[in-house]
Amino acid sequence: MAQTVTFKVNGVERTVHAAGWEKLLDVLRLHLGLTGTKCGCDDYTCGACVVVVNGKAQRACSFPLKKIEGSQVVTIEGVADGEHLHPIQQALIDAGAVQCGYCIPGIVMELYALLESKPDASRDEILDALDKHMCRCTGYEAILEGALLAQARMRKARAG
Amino acid sequence: MNFVHVGKDATRPDAVAKVTGRSVYLDDICLPGMLQAAILRPEHAHAKIVSIDCSAAETQPGVVAVVTGKGASQLRYGDNIRDLMPMAEFKVRHIGEAVAAVVAEDLHAAKQALKLIRVEYEPLPVYTDALSAMADGAALIHEESGEYWHLPGLGPEPGTNIANHYHLIKGDIQQGFAEADAIVEGDFNYPFGSSAAIEPHGAICVFHPDGRIEIWSSSICPFIVQDEIARAYGRSANQVRVHIPELGGCFGYKSDLTIEQTVAHIASCVPGRPVKWVASRKEDLLSTLLGHGIRTRMKIGARKDGKLTAIDSKVYHATGAYSDTGVHVCIAAGHNATGTYEFPHADLHAYLVYTNTPPIGAYRGYGHQESQLAIERLMDILARKLSMSPFALREKNYLGPGTTTALGEPLHATNGDVRACAEIVRRAVFSGDKPAGGDRYAYGRGFAGVMKSPKGAPHSSKGCYMKFNGDGSVTIAMGGAEVGQGLRTVVQQLAAERLKLPLERVSVYTEIDTGFSPWEWQTIGSMFTIQGGKAVLRAADKMIAMLKRTAAQALRCDEDRLDYDGDFVFLKSDPSQHVPLARLVRGYMYENGMTVGEVVQATSDCRLPRYSGADPATGQGNMGVTYTFGAQGCELKIDKQTGEITVEHFASAFDVGRVINPKQIRGQVAGGVMMGIGASLYEELVFDADGKCKNPHFRKYGFPTIKQAPRKQTIEFVENPGEIGPYGARGIGEHPVVGVAPAILNAIHDAIGVDFFELPIRPADVLAALGSSAEEA
Repeated sequence: MAQTVTFKVNGVERTVHAAGWEKLLDVLRLHLGLTGTKCGCDDYTCGACVVVVNGKAQRACSFPLKKIEGSQVVTIEGVADGEHLHPIQQALIDAGAVQCGYCIPGIVMELYALLESKPDASRDEILDALDKHMCRCTGYEAILEGALLAQARMRKARAG
Repeated sequence: MNFVHVGKDATRPDAVAKVTGRSVYLDDICLPGMLQAAILRPEHAHAKIVSIDCSAAETQPGVVAVVTGKGASQLRYGDNIRDLMPMAEFKVRHIGEAVAAVVAEDLHAAKQALKLIRVEYEPLPVYTDALSAMADGAALIHEESGEYWHLPGLGPEPGTNIANHYHLIKGDIQQGFAEADAIVEGDFNYPFGSSAAIEPHGAICVFHPDGRIEIWSSSICPFIVQDEIARAYGRSANQVRVHIPELGGCFGYKSDLTIEQTVAHIASCVPGRPVKWVASRKEDLLSTLLGHGIRTRMKIGARKDGKLTAIDSKVYHATGAYSDTGVHVCIAAGHNATGTYEFPHADLHAYLVYTNTPPIGAYRGYGHQESQLAIERLMDILARKLSMSPFALREKNYLGPGTTTALGEPLHATNGDVRACAEIVRRAVFSGDKPAGGDRYAYGRGFAGVMKSPKGAPHSSKGCYMKFNGDGSVTIAMGGAEVGQGLRTVVQQLAAERLKLPLERVSVYTEIDTGFSPWEWQTIGSMFTIQGGKAVLRAADKMIAMLKRTAAQALRCDEDRLDYDGDFVFLKSDPSQHVPLARLVRGYMYENGMTVGEVVQATSDCRLPRYSGADPATGQGNMGVTYTFGAQGCELKIDKQTGEITVEHFASAFDVGRVINPKQIRGQVAGGVMMGIGASLYEELVFDADGKCKNPHFRKYGFPTIKQAPRKQTIEFVENPGEIGPYGARGIGEHPVVGVAPAILNAIHDAIGVDFFELPIRPADVLAALGSSAEEA
């Protein structure tokens, strides 16, 4: 069964005619050319495909299209403000959390959903969020450091 | 030496592209007219193929072609032992093998049609373990193994499942054990695992109508792909062009040929149209290359005073259905079994055995962690038997200046100092008392030395092409695969250092293209900083010499009167006599337009000095050349009620010769330690007696997440410069995984008094061991 859905991606309204088997990940990558969102597994575990749907981090690989109608989706392509990186992106770079980069879009979006809605998230809440993501390169040390650095900078910007 | 860039935290040049989702990985590439392939995998791990019926699949909507392995036996490939095939033809040998493929206009159509292919099999006996496959009377997995082309000194033993047998002899093993006052032995197992990069393998291939073949692949060996595809399809190498886009991690299993011949075989059936295939995670685990599968039976002896006398080690390597990519892993496990210790007498065997499991290939550490699990555990067990401290026992036997390795290579101070590393780890983890455990928890501390040398082809080299742009900035192309390890940053820092330029005036390549990139054998063995970095310095030095040659003409003096400072070439005796860089890089132009001097661009490469193969009689040779020594240790907590193990503190110290980028090198070590913790406590691909994998998905594989990371990591470096790498640097990429398992298993013994010999150690294993030790008490 073909599906037609209309939703906003990174602030722009799009209408997509998709095949019945396609998930949000297929729509983003194959129909809209938004290839920054990655696929790393086949059982909804690795977190590389996480995008933000209506403010919540969601795995695009298993997200059904019928739930996307009328929603607001933010992908990795929509996080930076033009040439200016989002503080989460900059903090991950500064902490040395970027190696191969394949898990990074999902991690950026996970932290974006968390820190934009809950700037004072506890360390445990940040750990719970990051625990949904697999990274083979870093051993997670720099990712946690980057997340905490991003939170500190975002708080400071808000206060300032 | 006063450095401007070396030793500083330069930011990786690809960081912004990666955090904004702009980096292009293999699966992000879409070519005009591109088709998608899906591959059928067998129902049996070892079976004759009686028949394949593709008729129903061929007529499905969207299907362009159905491909089988007909003729694939004529397309055997491999660098070492040519036993690989792009697709099964007369029989299947493992559960992840390609049996047939559907090429369709979209992936969904290809997958749907795949379900309609009917294959009739005649099952054969299945072996998943090296010892059972070696047993007398075992059915042959490769009946024709005696006919396979192989490198001299390697090769199968026809009529058996042994694909290679490596044997190293140093001294007289019988004399060695006769001199021993204490002998300890053990049977260790490092089970199957996956490199498990988050980006799965994938490739795109097109057979162009004019005879050219073009490939895009998630590979770290584009030039091997180029040569082997050219050979397989009767092209000259210049007709095969290989592109490597951004790579989402490697950790070993994207080296050597993995999936490219299979995708090429499929694409050859639909000439003119690009065909893309990307592995599902299940296929990435079972249909590319596995890691480990190594059993080590080891016996060591020492005098009363702790001086080691002899080592007898036998590595049994379940290399899987094909041996080409496993053979050097096995040899490395063989001759590196001594770890960081000098043995006057050594007898080291390494048996590479065909099994009905997916083929083994490179995995970060390349054979070292598997057999060094054995030696580092036995050193602790020997220390107990001799009533010595494990540190004192190791101290008496460390390799270092004045000693020789099992390979017969003499070591020098420039090879690094394991003692200094051990002391850092000892202070970090072992000073002060362990926390009191109480009824619920037990704490333990463990230590392991680490030694690793590269394992590559003796002719392995890394090329560099460097040019000045018109404004005096620099652009560099190399063939080294950036897999996340940060080699682009290293290239940029080293070139900027040597050419005395700011980082932003040095740009580094982002893709590899065999049509344009300098040749590199493949990016393996933690060798890029050493070889590639040295090639960068060599090219930079050539360019500086060229600048001076041209400036000598402009300034009418001898070249050796000149110096270079990044902005000008100037007369040393009178710096006011100078020429700006931009007026030299494309030749020096006089006022009338006449121009003299070379365009300033240079090529270079670097291989290891006197790297060799093994002596057929002794198994010895210059097969290490450059070593990195180190030490690792940990403190862990065991929950005696649940069996859960938490790594509270993990410490690593390596003598890397020279730290090029502190942040990146820390990231390498932290990531390597995590992989080692995964292998020690969580990860294993389990095959049942029929050769079927019981857990071919991440959820059940045991991939560690952030909550399994050590609570604290100490990571330090010793810098005794080496003679081979740039500014004394040595390799570090793989080394951090090597000592993790023995450090953890030694710590488990320290905590609960139980010796483990097989990985991974799961809570149930701890509880079972605690239960049985309680019964014994």
